[in-house]
Amino acid sequence: MNASGNDVTAAVNRFGLGAKPGELASVHDPRAWLNAQLARGADDGNAFADLPGSLDYLREEAQLQMTRRTFKQGDRGRRAFLLGDMQSASQDGQANAAALKQALKPYRQETRKELLAEAAARYQVTTVSDTPFVERLVRFWSNHFAVSVDKRSARLFAAPMEREAIRPHVTGRFADMLLAVETHPAMLLYLDNVRSVGPNSLLGRRTAMRLARKGDMDQGKAGGLNENLGREAMELHTVGVNAGYTQADVIEFSRALTGWSVPYPRDFANGGQPQSAFVFRANAHEPGARHVMGKTFAAGGLEQGSDILQFLARQPATARHLSLQLAQHFVSDHPPQSLVERMAKSYLEHDTDLAAVYRTLIASPEAWDAEARKFKTPQDFVISSLRAAQIGLDGRPQPVLALLKDLGEPVFNPRSPAGFTDNSANWIDADGLWKRVQAAEALSAYVAQSNHVPLAFAQDILGPLLDEDTAQAIRRAESARQAHATLFASPAFQWRA
Amino acid sequence: MLTRRQFLANSAIGAATLMIWPKLTLAATGSDTRFLFVLLRGGLDGLESVPPYGDPGYPAIRGALALSPSAQEPAHKLDNVFALHPSFDYAAQLYVQGQFMPVVAAAPPYWGRSHFQAQNCVENGTAKPDGAQTGWLNRCIASMPGGEGLACAAVMPLTMRGTAKVETWSPPLPTDVNPILLQRLQPLYAADASLAAPFARAVAQQTDSPVPDNAVKPGADMPADGSGRPRKQKAGGLPVMMGAAGGFMGKVDGPRVAFVEDDGWDTHANEAAIVTRKIAELDAGVRAFHQSIGAMWGRTVVIVATEFGRTAHINGTGGTDHGTGGSMFLAGGALRGGRVAGNWPGIGSGELYQNRDVHATTDFRSVFKGVLAAHLGVAESLLESRVFPDSQGAEALGNLVASGRAAA
Repeated sequence: MNASGNDVTAAVNRFGLGAKPGELASVHDPRAWLNAQLARGADDGNAFADLPGSLDYLREEAQLQMTRRTFKQGDRGRRAFLLGDMQSASQDGQANAAALKQALKPYRQETRKELLAEAAARYQVTTVSDTPFVERLVRFWSNHFAVSVDKRSARLFAAPMEREAIRPHVTGRFADMLLAVETHPAMLLYLDNVRSVGPNSLLGRRTAMRLARKGDMDQGKAGGLNENLGREAMELHTVGVNAGYTQADVIEFSRALTGWSVPYPRDFANGGQPQSAFVFRANAHEPGARHVMGKTFAAGGLEQGSDILQFLARQPATARHLSLQLAQHFVSDHPPQSLVERMAKSYLEHDTDLAAVYRTLIASPEAWDAEARKFKTPQDFVISSLRAAQIGLDGRPQPVLALLKDLGEPVFNPRSPAGFTDNSANWIDADGLWKRVQAAEALSAYVAQSNHVPLAFAQDILGPLLDEDTAQAIRRAESARQAHATLFASPAFQWRA
Repeated sequence: MLTRRQFLANSAIGAATLMIWPKLTLAATGSDTRFLFVLLRGGLDGLESVPPYGDPGYPAIRGALALSPSAQEPAHKLDNVFALHPSFDYAAQLYVQGQFMPVVAAAPPYWGRSHFQAQNCVENGTAKPDGAQTGWLNRCIASMPGGEGLACAAVMPLTMRGTAKVETWSPPLPTDVNPILLQRLQPLYAADASLAAPFARAVAQQTDSPVPDNAVKPGADMPADGSGRPRKQKAGGLPVMMGAAGGFMGKVDGPRVAFVEDDGWDTHANEAAIVTRKIAELDAGVRAFHQSIGAMWGRTVVIVATEFGRTAHINGTGGTDHGTGGSMFLAGGALRGGRVAGNWPGIGSGELYQNRDVHATTDFRSVFKGVLAAHLGVAESLLESRVFPDSQGAEALGNLVASGRAAA
């Protein structure tokens, strides 16, 4: 292995998504290859052109809710309703429930179709992309701003958030990406901000008065503050948990975010036509100045929260937090401190410009160290297999979705706002390796039975990473399919080296 | 000695017919007991899972979410103050037999309300999120002679990371692996320093039947959860995972210590429906575990814990936010249960922590230490120095285990 060969495989595997046929041979100057991709930005090749936008999805959800609401009659108690307890519902209620199910069926089918179309487009882009470094960055930020679709209300919006909030800013300024994410329906729904109401806002006071008049002590009905988005935006999205902020800062920030919401079903009713998937509800916004991490933000509307986001984006703690995560993703679980500091400096000097940070990373010798490598996550493993064999999904992503779930990285479902772990050590274990061998067998079934010469194919995909023993194993495979399975299951294929 | 693993790694796949768990002799371990730790990620609400219906502050603070034995959907009465959530049907039966016990107002030593930091503390066994890079359960296993563990998870959880031998297991893919492919791969993996050991274990695991015949299968019908909706067992759901854990642990030479995790307990909105469904899953999980571990149940203790309790008050979205004191649950045939453990701090005015959360009066580690010492025979000196470093302040709870044995 010569040094330049290592740099090429590093660029294609570690910075990119794994080689497409011919890709390794096409890269002559790895650093220039990566920088040129940054200049191009996110290029989806029009794969998303036919997909609905978040506003369309919100409208659809609103129609579903309104359909559901027309059936919300009868004598069921509140708790029985919440539980969907049909046994304690009346006869009418039971008939109602069957009719409701029937009425909702077309919506459910439509939703399922849309989720599959989103996934199909997403994997199509990664399989064919000529800018795999930028696509890896898209995945990185998507996981940084993780939305987990086990939260039902958010599940239609996770994929659109990647398209609408992350891709446009992936080589732009972090401050802009941050604002786009925190105002996206996916994040507002996932972290419960849509109904967070300032207790002293018009809406908060009115609701409290109405409930008091009725003698209703049910605080679940009263508008109230929800801290979820404020907390995670600080802990996970920006400054990071050790930045020295307190519970009081979280509450203040959450107050500033009250009113950040999405159009409700009623906004679509009676011919209503909301023009944006984000709505600022001034009547739910907590009045007054806010104090966050030692800085005062004057009373105001939407700009109060966005000013705080701008402030958080420019904190040195944010620069370090993001730079460390990027270095961990692209270099190793324990990247050199010198690299992280250089990237963080670049981030602050260029006003949160991410392209500048990436360019610093590319220009740093630490990023090209011979020891630098990462173990492929299940996503990396599956995507690099799809790319290597140019497996087309033909609009049917189901096998890939099932595979990723079984491998432990279900799509848009990390089950936590912290996202999937990016630590190689967490992905290496017996059960996971065994499932990769099974997955390699399954994936090889999708490889077009073209006239690949298996050994030449393996050389094309792995380049200098193809050691003699692996080459021998592939040469001895009894069929093209087994050769592909051997390649995908080989230890050499499991590393982003 | 040459372990079975090393033997398998050096042998052809066809010859590898031995069981994966080394046979532990009773003389080597002092006693042949089992311990399962179940972690509920997201923050289970203590006031909803173990409603203190007899506390005069409770109906006022919980409003429409309040549960009680006299409600239309009755909670299971435990004593004059506490009940169990209506979905805890099986647990309530075990309680009567002295084989189930909630601990109220418990929390890990970290009270910062961040999921990830709190989970880190619950898993690393210290008071700091970055207090250790290994898990307390792994260090516990390392402190037991011949100890070996099992993590029922697709990815090794922090709780089980460390130097002691721990296997992971999750429901397998349906795809068969060509034995010839496996033969070709074995020398390749043997040459990869980072992957050789886990790959050898992976091959070895396949030669033992991984799932007991009576375990809950993914796709099977779930027991009714009170919602009236039929549900199928999820591959990663608690009944499947706890059932599998019981199958492994029930074997004479099975792992003595195992870990199961679940998520989806973070109820910021619409809490009543979510908790009802999730507790039904946990209850079905305990039942599945009991069934598949069989006779070994009598020598078993299960601890169920979560990273924090939730706010005492309902938030604006019919849910609760991150809090402090919450509930733990213990189960098993070796448990001295049938009572509610912990010191109830009250939830009246002035009794809440920072005027918002249920106070925590029991440190998780006191419960863990009590079970580890009496049930697994881990020496007290090791508990303080290795398993839960700097935990002198959290004294081991006594009287938790019916058939307690001292360290060997």
